[in-house]
Amino acid sequence: MASNKKYWKSVEELKENSSIVDTLRQNEFVEEIPTDVFLGDKENLEASSTTRRDFLKYVGFTTAAASLAACEGPVVKSIPYVIKPDDIIPGVAEYYATTMADGFDLANVLVKVREGRPIKIEPNKEANGTTNARVQASVLSLYDSLRLKSPKANGTDISWADADLQIISKLNEVKESGLPIAVLTGTCASPSTKKLINNLGETFGTVNHVVYDAVSESAALDAFEAIYGSRALPDYHLEKAEVIVSIGADFLGDWQGGGFDSGYAKGRVPNQGKMSHHIQIESNMTLSGANADKRLMVKPSEQNLALIKLYQAVVKGISTREASPLNDAIQKAATKIKKAGSKAVVITGIQDKNAQLLALAINNAINSEVIDVVVTKNVRKGNDADVAQLITDMNAGKIGAVIINSSNPVYSLPNSTEFVEGLKKVKLSVAFTMQDNETANAVQYALATPHYLESWGDVVIKKGQYSLMQPTIKPLFNTRQFQDALLTWTGSTATYYDFLKETWNTEVLNGTSWNQALHDGVFTSEVVGEVSALEVDVDAAGSELAKIKGSNFELALYTKVGLGDGQMANNPWLQEFPDPITRTSWDNYLTISKADAETIGVVNYNVANGALNGSLVELTVNGVSETLPVFIQPGQAKGSLGLALGYGRTQGLKDEMKTGKNGYQFYKNFNNFQADVTLKVVEGEHEFACVQLQNTLMGRGDIIKEATLEEYNTIDSKEWNKVPMVSLDHNEVEATTVDLWESFDRSMGHHFNLSIDLNACTGCGACVIACHAENNVPVVGKDEIRRSRDMHWLRIDRYYSHEEDFAGDVETKENGTGVLGYKNTMSDLEDPSENPSVAFQPVMCQHCNHAPCETVCPVAATSHGRQGQNQMAYNRCVGTRYCANNCPYKVRRFNWFEYPENDNFDYNMNDDLGKMVLNPDVTVRSRGVMEKCSMCIQMTQATILKAKKEGRPVNTNEFETACSNACSTNAMVFGDINHKEDTVTSLTEDKRAYHLLEHIGTKPNVVYHVKVRNTQEA
Amino acid sequence: MSSHYEAPIRRPLIDGNKSYHDITVEVAAPVEGKANKLWWTAFTIALLAFLWGVGSIIYTIGTGIGVWGLNKTVGWAWDITNFVWWVGIGHAGTLISAVLLLFRQKWRMGINRSAEAMTIFSVVQAGLFPVIHMGRVWNAHFVLPIPNQFGTLWTNFNSPLLWDVFAISTYLSVSLVFWWTGLLPDFAMLRDRAVRPFQKKIYSLLSFGWSGRAKDWQRFEEVSLVLAGLATPLVLSVHTIVSFDFATSVIPGWHTTIFPPYFVAGAVFSGFAMVNTLLIIMRKVSNLEAYITKQHIELMNIVIMITGSIVGCAYITELFIAWYSGVEYEQYAFLNRATGPYWWAYLLMMSCNVLSPQFMWFKRLRSSIMFSFFISIVVNIGMWFERFVIIVTSLHRDYLPSSWTMFSPTFVDIGIYVGTIGFFFVLFLLYARTFPVIAQAEVKSILKSSGEQFKKLRDGNHE
Amino acid sequence: MSNKVIQAMYNDDDILLDAVKEVRAANYHIEEIFTPFPVHGLDKAMGLKGTRIAITAFMYGCVGFVFSIWMMNYMMIEQWPQDIGGKPSFTFIQNMPAFVPIMFEMTVFFAAHLMVITFYMRSKLWPFKKAENPDPRTTDDMFVMEVSVDGNEAELVSFLEKTGTVEIKVTEKH
Repeated sequence: MASNKKYWKSVEELKENSSIVDTLRQNEFVEEIPTDVFLGDKENLEASSTTRRDFLKYVGFTTAAASLAACEGPVVKSIPYVIKPDDIIPGVAEYYATTMADGFDLANVLVKVREGRPIKIEPNKEANGTTNARVQASVLSLYDSLRLKSPKANGTDISWADADLQIISKLNEVKESGLPIAVLTGTCASPSTKKLINNLGETFGTVNHVVYDAVSESAALDAFEAIYGSRALPDYHLEKAEVIVSIGADFLGDWQGGGFDSGYAKGRVPNQGKMSHHIQIESNMTLSGANADKRLMVKPSEQNLALIKLYQAVVKGISTREASPLNDAIQKAATKIKKAGSKAVVITGIQDKNAQLLALAINNAINSEVIDVVVTKNVRKGNDADVAQLITDMNAGKIGAVIINSSNPVYSLPNSTEFVEGLKKVKLSVAFTMQDNETANAVQYALATPHYLESWGDVVIKKGQYSLMQPTIKPLFNTRQFQDALLTWTGSTATYYDFLKETWNTEVLNGTSWNQALHDGVFTSEVVGEVSALEVDVDAAGSELAKIKGSNFELALYTKVGLGDGQMANNPWLQEFPDPITRTSWDNYLTISKADAETIGVVNYNVANGALNGSLVELTVNGVSETLPVFIQPGQAKGSLGLALGYGRTQGLKDEMKTGKNGYQFYKNFNNFQADVTLKVVEGEHEFACVQLQNTLMGRGDIIKEATLEEYNTIDSKEWNKVPMVSLDHNEVEATTVDLWESFDRSMGHHFNLSIDLNACTGCGACVIACHAENNVPVVGKDEIRRSRDMHWLRIDRYYSHEEDFAGDVETKENGTGVLGYKNTMSDLEDPSENPSVAFQPVMCQHCNHAPCETVCPVAATSHGRQGQNQMAYNRCVGTRYCANNCPYKVRRFNWFEYPENDNFDYNMNDDLGKMVLNPDVTVRSRGVMEKCSMCIQMTQATILKAKKEGRPVNTNEFETACSNACSTNAMVFGDINHKEDTVTSLTEDKRAYHLLEHIGTKPNVVYHVKVRNTQEA
Repeated sequence: MSSHYEAPIRRPLIDGNKSYHDITVEVAAPVEGKANKLWWTAFTIALLAFLWGVGSIIYTIGTGIGVWGLNKTVGWAWDITNFVWWVGIGHAGTLISAVLLLFRQKWRMGINRSAEAMTIFSVVQAGLFPVIHMGRVWNAHFVLPIPNQFGTLWTNFNSPLLWDVFAISTYLSVSLVFWWTGLLPDFAMLRDRAVRPFQKKIYSLLSFGWSGRAKDWQRFEEVSLVLAGLATPLVLSVHTIVSFDFATSVIPGWHTTIFPPYFVAGAVFSGFAMVNTLLIIMRKVSNLEAYITKQHIELMNIVIMITGSIVGCAYITELFIAWYSGVEYEQYAFLNRATGPYWWAYLLMMSCNVLSPQFMWFKRLRSSIMFSFFISIVVNIGMWFERFVIIVTSLHRDYLPSSWTMFSPTFVDIGIYVGTIGFFFVLFLLYARTFPVIAQAEVKSILKSSGEQFKKLRDGNHE
Repeated sequence: MSNKVIQAMYNDDDILLDAVKEVRAANYHIEEIFTPFPVHGLDKAMGLKGTRIAITAFMYGCVGFVFSIWMMNYMMIEQWPQDIGGKPSFTFIQNMPAFVPIMFEMTVFFAAHLMVITFYMRSKLWPFKKAENPDPRTTDDMFVMEVSVDGNEAELVSFLEKTGTVEIKVTEKH
């Protein structure tokens, strides 16, 4: 913008045609420049030292210098806001309430958004939402560089307009032909979407909506429908339970959509001397089994019998005649259930309608308060019969068009070949998908859909609990939602947002504010009504169930906490996440009992650098065979095998992620129990990426302290929570009271402590992923894991007992007398028992007040903070690794290589899209420096600053870390022990509280709580 | 000649009928003469090994410590093992020249020069490892308390690793000046014999213009004595401090109060073994059998035997204390050390360090050149494994069983180790060709007392 | 006065020692003696004063000791005290045990190096310094005694010849 300002040089200018002004205009320089003095006399010019040559030299030099100076390192541009969006303050995180619903995980979540980038998922606690590892990791799938980036027709890109035209015309053809349109979706708990699908029907003739769950709960749904009339899943309030009997149901895993752990944990923490008693009857070692007070290993087929016996014992009062350990246990269970009456519950994971009927019948008989049949859950809706029907119809040519949304049947169907055949026979096949996956490549139209963090939507997870899904970022790619597409095809001009809002205002909100609902992420309405059980012939069901034949090997398919049904197989965080039970990442494998392994002659062994290798077998299940590695699993029922679903994806993933073998091919009739299994040992071996190579506790009772409920209630805590004693001035005193030095004053300001309750911790591992996401922890890949170089700041150690329980181990250890005796017992203690008791222990930096790592650092790169943290100054670290060696807890992690910006580690940190998930508040560590848990100092500082800005003291329990925030069972509680009201303060003084390796005198700021087991049997 | 009296039972330290001039000639010979084939082959091998090491180091620094076999549990293995091993070897030189000087042991004079050379060269190797084992070598200067732009940013004087920095640098520099001061008269000798002008120039430069005035000699002897007095506690302190790296930690198997004396003994043990290895070769190659006599070798062997036995006692004591402590972690650490996955390393250590020196009780064996050579090699292997055992077997299974794992070296680990051996021999071979390998001035001063023919004369007179 | 000297050469340290005694008995002034190796008792015989270099070493050691204390106190206690592994950094004494090794090392470092430097300075030894021994053989097997002459050259020569010298040279000393 040119300015026509006039600048006054002097007052003279005010005068008309003043001579001075003119002269000034004429000659630019006020004084005349003495040019001829210089150029004038020749001598002077000659005399001047600068000759022409010199001058040229100077020119040459200066140009060279200038050009050299111009050479710079690459410049990374950062672009500032030209006009700042008014809702974004750089450096301040925004939180949006939304809902995850990918058909397998449904959760109310908060999304942390920094500068417009969603970077972390947190549970929406106001909507009492909980998150598991997958939900936590889902944010990274948003930045998956292999997402389907635009609509494709037969593999070639196409514009949405063209796609719409072609599809609509085809749909009309179908309408002409009068054939039905099949809409195949995953569990769809969205009322508005259902409405849209119906509209589609109205426009294009008949639509049958087939709901398909990759991992089916159909049997349970059928059973519930049979008794209570509605096709839904009952909810279980495990916090009310006194006795929990689970037959093959991994309810702490993904059974019926999961999410029972918080309730379960409430019942497991002994208060007023009471805690629930949990009996688990199962074939695979599951999280639930690992947490059970009593665990029985039986083959899948025997689980049916167990259930029947239990039914007879509880409902019919028939006691089983023949005495076997199982029967005995069931008798005890039955009596316990009877004793507990309505405070007991029986659940089963057997994928058989009859089995589910029995379970419901038992709960009905004892009219259990735990099971809730009124406020039902919609987390699984799949109907196996419909799916099977659809496939046959497709092949019979009875289907005009197939529209697939949010599921990958071509990968996950056991009979996917038939399905693919069927697809060829229909006029129109459309798949709405986020990934360029197997299904996307099998259909005519693969339409790119946005990630849930880019979408609108609504979900009814529970009856009466309406959750909203809202976009937290502008779609990254040329994608469109399923619902928007349906609207366009049905000729509506409205966007899905309008439609959604309108639907809610008319049907859901009944007058309350839409914005409020959107803000909360959830709208709850009172559910009223009684549900009465219909009459069903349960005995018949029982006898039906009894008919099921077993075989000498039976396969139990399960889903891992990490990968679930395999939708997120391209998510490096989940691939590297060690399975809580096997502690093995980047793989699925055939779990087998030690006894069976010996009989068929397969082994697991450690190679020179400790990494685990295993033999290969060929597994054949009714005709289908596959070569699989075997993993010898303590607690695996003899004659049973376990295999995780969700692995072996081949399309739409990076090569590193193409791990494991596809288990779905064995998933015949969507039954997770498969009989008629044969094993054949084959040549070769498999390399596992196992992060924990020593499975037992070696009788080191002070690492995980345990007590029985009786002990806890009756005996003084000093007995079962022993404090190591030392001799001070020749009399025994508690080691914790002794201090070598005059210690620092920690009573001022904040002093952070983290409390971990081993009773509440189920080992689910949500915290591990939360930590990964919050702290930009690098993913190192399978090979590095094999070299024991995992980078997780927070790990969950899993220990098996060598004897029946850990107390037994301690005894055995002490009985080993004499040099040889000691040697032998120790080597015996290294291998776990057939059916061990299991303990989980989350371990991160203990932030010792007397930190061994700090004293040994030559450059003072790690020293103690005023708030109790043991701090790492990455810039100062020279990487001697002395601190890691001297850490008794081995929680320090070294950057062996440059993990970011390194083609050898092609994970999220090394592609531009994946980098967007990085937390800008946390440094990305360079090669050669040590790193470790910082107690999320960036979060605590943010909290302090927030309080400061608002001019108030920090509120009670306001401090949080990523792990404590993610923990759905409240096993991890973080806070300021100088703030008496904080929960953690009382927890640190609890009689169960103890420090890890107390006898070393490191005085940690992480406190554990003794694990209490409710072992008394009826 | 009564002033040169020495008890007849003392066997001569200089064989044959030598005059002062003969000594001069024979010491100067290797320097003035041409190198033989043997030397060239040895040198080439050493050089190749050295280059391999250089390659491995460059690769490590370029790619990351990840190219070594280390992991989250075992953060130190070959790197620090080699460090301690080399430092240990580096102890003999100063010990011989300082302690034996204080004790007025004349037999040191034949060997102290080479022993000190060995000390310096091996401490150079040792110093290499703490530097390259850093994840960020380019920031190595952080370990020095240098004023910097951050003003208040200093090193941590509580850290044993920092004590090492001071100990090693002091030790290296002090032994260097000690060595050099001793070299001056001998350089002067070479200078005055040199015929080629270039040699003359170099040696007059190296000899700092030594002229051998009576006063200089007086100061020279005083300085040597005081340096010896300083170097003796220094040499003991160095390995004591190295042992603090482990002794002050909390890791069972490291946290052991016996370490300082035990490490020093071990150092002397391995150092003398290495001296034996080198001298047995050198006396042949540069035919100095007259000055480095069987007598010397035998005396060295006795020291090896004694120190070896001390180390043996230390091993046993460790085991006993572990049991006696009643601490289960301590007990398991040592059980695992002896019978765990690395039992073979422990066995090697025990047999090489405790058993093999016991053969030296037999005079026939300890005065056999070949056998001494063999044992000296065995001892050095054993001492390497001692450090490996202490470092790796303590780390790989410590407190929490969940983080237990194993260590196995990569070709880079091996490359760097072999490289340092190569580097060491490159230096030593060059030294053998260019330096007066025998402290001839000192030897001359004992010729009359301990020279063979003089003794014969004298003893004759006494009959 | 003229600065002529007679250089009497000997090929044996014992003969030299006796000669020195005789020469001094005869009250001739011995300028300097060059020997290939330290001849014990020579300095006594010549009546040289004992050297004080050991005392300087002690003083240097004290300097090093004090310096190390000052340094660590300044860096760890005064300027920027930190909480390192809970070790008390309130006063020097409390933190002192950790400083002992470095105190010792610094003491030795200072003592050794400064003493050697002093020695080199006092005896005029440094790179590129020209050697001053009158005869190259004095570093091999010859011992040279320089006796100053003032006019009595002839008698001195004859006197020295009796002391078992193998060679006599009269030179100008500058």
